[in-house]
Amino acid sequence: MNLRIAWRNIWRNKKRTFITISSIILAVVLAVFTRSFNEGTYVKMIENSVGQLTGYVNIHNIDYWEDKMLDNGMEVTQDLIDNAKSVEGVNDVTLKIESFALAAYEKSTKGTLLIGINPKKEDEYVKLKSKLTEGEYITESDRSILIGSRLANYLKISVGDTLVLMGQGHYGQSAVGAYPIKGIIKMPSPVIDRQIIYMPLALAQEYLSFPSGVTSMVIRIEDGDLADDVCNELNSKIDTTINKAMTWKEMTPELIQMIEGDRAGGFLMIGILYMIIAFGVFGTVLMMTEERKKEFAVMISIGMQKSQLAIISIIEMIYINAIGIGVGIALTIPIVMYFHYNPIKMTGEMAKSMEQFGIEAELPTLMEFSIFKEQIIIILFITAFAAIYPVFAIMKLKLIKALRK
Amino acid sequence: MKKVIEIKDLFKTYVDADIIVKAVNGVSLSFEEGEFAAIVGPSGSGKTTLLNMIGGLDKYTEGSIIIDGIDISQLSSKQMIDFRLNNIGFVFQAYNLIPVLTAKENAEFIMQLQHKSKKERQERIMELFEAVGISEKANVRPGKLSGGQQQRVAVARALASKPKFILADEPTANLDSKSTADLLDIMRKLNEEENITFIFSTHDQRVIDRAKRVITLEDGKIISDEVK
Ligand SMILES: Nc1ncnc2c1ncn2[C@@H]1O[C@H](COP(=O)(O)OP(=O)(O)OP(=O)(O)O)[C@@H](O)[C@H]1O
Ligand SMILES: [Mg+2]
Repeated sequence: MNLRIAWRNIWRNKKRTFITISSIILAVVLAVFTRSFNEGTYVKMIENSVGQLTGYVNIHNIDYWEDKMLDNGMEVTQDLIDNAKSVEGVNDVTLKIESFALAAYEKSTKGTLLIGINPKKEDEYVKLKSKLTEGEYITESDRSILIGSRLANYLKISVGDTLVLMGQGHYGQSAVGAYPIKGIIKMPSPVIDRQIIYMPLALAQEYLSFPSGVTSMVIRIEDGDLADDVCNELNSKIDTTINKAMTWKEMTPELIQMIEGDRAGGFLMIGILYMIIAFGVFGTVLMMTEERKKEFAVMISIGMQKSQLAIISIIEMIYINAIGIGVGIALTIPIVMYFHYNPIKMTGEMAKSMEQFGIEAELPTLMEFSIFKEQIIIILFITAFAAIYPVFAIMKLKLIKALRK
Repeated sequence: MKKVIEIKDLFKTYVDADIIVKAVNGVSLSFEEGEFAAIVGPSGSGKTTLLNMIGGLDKYTEGSIIIDGIDISQLSSKQMIDFRLNNIGFVFQAYNLIPVLTAKENAEFIMQLQHKSKKERQERIMELFEAVGISEKANVRPGKLSGGQQQRVAVARALASKPKFILADEPTANLDSKSTADLLDIMRKLNEEENITFIFSTHDQRVIDRAKRVITLEDGKIISDEVK
């Protein structure tokens, strides 16, 4: 009975209810879009910089992060690796050695980032092989290298040519070497693509005169969300006077800051939007209550408890808001899903500025229940807020006065 | 006959911007089961105020109202609502049916509040709608009924809960003479055949003529109380 009365009540003024529900739908749709595009972009940004380069958790020598030079690298022992692998959530440990190198080919030279990797594992984790555009992928025992496509363009070098690398090795020894290009890779981040050189780890260690040395141990974990836990656990297991585990959040604070700032802006916008909607809903409920005060009084006169009447009003609010959020989500799911699999490709200025941040100029959406859950929670609050007025009005209703109307 | 309502030395004073209005000014009165009583008097004489207090809608300043042995001033406002539900039927001047419910649902609603079974509800509503002659409009919403039809539904609603008596404040004031006559026929019939107690206020001489007892108020006091 309560449900039926409430349902019919909301359709008394069809136009008004329709407008109210539409405004809720609009807010939900806008909010879901904003949030899923934002979060999608953040995930992309994190994947681009963290997934591809740093990894979610790293172990470095304690001085390395402050001063990223080879001399602050670390000696890796099997013990250390085993220790790290024993932490829950850790899938694997890969080793990496990074150094600056000057690359020269014919008349061109360019500062590059040289990274020594385990080629097989690097492909396993970041699908490096799939980024190959020319030539072949390197193997562990190769004495050849992979270079970024933009770097190759700049140096006008192609597969089979030999690139000369110069730089500083471990403890001031000079590092010089000439290595044939085995393959060209296209990195999603243009900044990286312009400077990257991949080399098998052993070859890099040899070139840098740092056998068994690495700059980072990359801890591969099951799930990015576990980063903090894994990091803490690692730090409790290793000798932190020598080495230290760090999460991607510590390693890329600018990225976090940028994401947080952007997210806060998004929330502010959505907050304002919902605020407007909340007052709209409140206005509707205000009218719905005021114009029915006499009816409320009649119902109480003939024997309906105020609490039951209040419940009917709350159900009315739930109906309006539930339809709003239900339809809103139903409308957005297919669209969000579409853009998740078919990200919007950005062009022009926007694309340029994104690329400057090392992000692919693509806007995928994030398909995550949490985004919908956020909206549901907000709408719940709006429902509660809107229900305050009629509940209050019913509890404080002056029977005789309302009946005389 | 059994006494259903006993009113003693009842006063109701309104204080409105320093002006004291004694809307009901020392009324003592009792009603028995099966009465068909009209409360009459000029405008402002206190008819509505008296009926509202008997119905527990308004509090009185002094005196007492005992309904079926219960002093209603002792009831909490929640208890009062339940008391009204189970003991008093209301018919309003402006019908005041719930617009989103059909005629039948309006009457059934009150029995649902009493947690009556579906079967019991159906039977009683059928019977009542038959009695007030509105059966064919059972599934129509109030907005599509004439005033007379709405008031007949209101009478059915008031009776649905099997109250001890019906209070009706000017039930015919909004009706034309034909509808007024019809409604009075129905009320009289229910009173005579089912022994339903009706207490109503009115200005209408034709209604007064058909009452079995006429109580006249003036300035909140009873000036005459005749049983015909
Ligand atoms: N809420 C109130 N505040 C102040 N005075 C009131 C209030 N309600 C009623 N009165 C006064 O009490 C007196 C009795 O009013 P009441 O409505 O009971 O008269 P009535 O006999 O029903 O009149 P009518 O025939 O016009 O319906 C009137 O003088 C009225 O102005
Ligand atoms: Mg009156």
